[in-house]
Amino acid sequence: MSATVSRRALLAGGGALAAAATTGVAAARILPRDMVPLVGPGYRPTDKDEVGIWQRMERVEEEIAGSNLLIKDEGLNAYLRDLIGKVGGPATRDMRIYLARIPEFNAVMFPTGFSVVFSGLLLRMRNEAQLAGVIAHESAHFLRKHQIRQWRDTRTKSDLLAIGSMVAGVAGAAGGVYTGDLARLAELGAILSVLRYNRTLEAEADAMGVRLLADAGYSPAAMHITWQQLIGELDASASYRRKRRDRNYSLFSTHPAPERRMADLRISAAEVTVPGRSYDDHRARYLQAIGGIRPMLIDDQVKLNDPGASQYIVETLAQDGWNGLLRFAEAEVWRLRNRAGDDARAAYGYAAAVRYPDAPADAWRWHGIMLQKAGRAAEARAAYQRYLTVAPNAPDAPFIRQQLQFL
Amino acid sequence: MKKLAMAAALTLTLPACSTIGGEGFGYGGYALVRADRPRSVGDGSMIVTPPRDWNRVSPLWQIDDIRAVEDWTLNSPYLDSISFVTGLRGGRYIIRQDRRAAQQVPKFRSDMTAPEIAAMLESFYRVRAGAIDFKTTGLAPRQFMGYPGFQFDFDHLDSDEVWRRGRAVGAVIGGRLYLVLLDGARMHYFGAALPDFEAIANSARLRR
Repeated sequence: MSATVSRRALLAGGGALAAAATTGVAAARILPRDMVPLVGPGYRPTDKDEVGIWQRMERVEEEIAGSNLLIKDEGLNAYLRDLIGKVGGPATRDMRIYLARIPEFNAVMFPTGFSVVFSGLLLRMRNEAQLAGVIAHESAHFLRKHQIRQWRDTRTKSDLLAIGSMVAGVAGAAGGVYTGDLARLAELGAILSVLRYNRTLEAEADAMGVRLLADAGYSPAAMHITWQQLIGELDASASYRRKRRDRNYSLFSTHPAPERRMADLRISAAEVTVPGRSYDDHRARYLQAIGGIRPMLIDDQVKLNDPGASQYIVETLAQDGWNGLLRFAEAEVWRLRNRAGDDARAAYGYAAAVRYPDAPADAWRWHGIMLQKAGRAAEARAAYQRYLTVAPNAPDAPFIRQQLQFL
Repeated sequence: MKKLAMAAALTLTLPACSTIGGEGFGYGGYALVRADRPRSVGDGSMIVTPPRDWNRVSPLWQIDDIRAVEDWTLNSPYLDSISFVTGLRGGRYIIRQDRRAAQQVPKFRSDMTAPEIAAMLESFYRVRAGAIDFKTTGLAPRQFMGYPGFQFDFDHLDSDEVWRRGRAVGAVIGGRLYLVLLDGARMHYFGAALPDFEAIANSARLRR
């Protein structure tokens, strides 16, 4: 990829955008080969509007960088920096990445080239290629200058005021008026609505992301698999609560229809695949990187008691093989959702979990509680004793010791 | 029970006026709870005696109908609060929620053990109070109103980046949940309110 950005490339990009804006639809799939970066190394804005946005976003970044919602694990952060280095295109060295502890399927790229990855994303990715695909997509937003292009594209007077006030809200966060409420900002869309892109720009990011992914040697098919998971999870969550999928879901925004984008990604992936070249998903390396926090990631999700989504996630991860952690998580989903018959299901789930050598200590505790409630005193006693052996300093050990006296 | 947004902070409060003294809520949305006077809380089935004046949080703006729950505060719900859950029946929730919301606080069941009640409270903090991190720091047996109950201690980091600390003391009596819960900013406020909380929890008794 070229290090400098030619004027021709800029004009071509602008032209494509103008055409799409006129017709209002992305009629045809955007081709990965057309996606040249519009940003080179060390890019700084010169236009007044963009300079203004950068100044505000720099304050936002300062706020985010100091947030105690970030996961500080140095090894994991180095791993993510390394990853953005592989799929960040020509601006690789300029990009920053922050890992926030927010249990949502999401990642955001800010106009100045820093990205926030939500911990919920790490939970859902089955391998490094999938994660790299999302990061490549986000990088493409920066490389194609989507934030400023979208802003200029939609700039009618009312939009201008709306975006101006939203950016002011973000700046307020940095100034301490709004106390850097990262999760809330993300959820409520104050930042995300500033960073919401039209369908053409999303399609561009998809196409370019696939290309960045394949160029870095990852399996480009990883991207549409991620899409499939997102759609599957949203449907599972909604159908459990007997409603339709939320159309306002923020990851990669809403238009075009998710199914259409998944189909386009599949074709693009085939297009960028070089015959004879081997692509890897680096699953082992990924599991090693996130292994230390995986129990926490699962716990954060399961305790939200969104049974449709949680069960979908557990089953998706289990496609690579069941283990004690996933069996335990499945039982937790059943226990918390608390429908008729779920107590028996959960009891069965904990019993299944403790058969695995990697079952978490908590599985023994819950196994014991379920046995005790079922009146199986001797087995409950054994499970509790096992729990106290594995986790002698557990915060609830005094309670469990008391229960042992009753058995 | 406290939530981080102001409106939401009131969603668990009691709508009906059950105060013994009959004092009203002022424009600020709080009613005075006088020190050293026994008073019934929640649905009226529990009587407590605070060692100093507290403020009962007004149900003015809430759309809730959970009579079993009542909230008090000293310095505003963001900083400290005591919640009372009184006589909550099996199958009911500690908070009113949209049945179609993707994420939900589990319902209380009469046969719940202390760890299950603790887990229910944890999900409340994660789902409704924006807790990003939640650590159980203790779960131990403790008598409550003369019945075998539990004490649950926890810390949570909320999405406003403030660490808060909580202690719940409760018991399931006759299949109903009774609970007193202190929650406050870990820096200063929790510790400052803890002696009051202990006095209130120890003063609690069932109204016969």
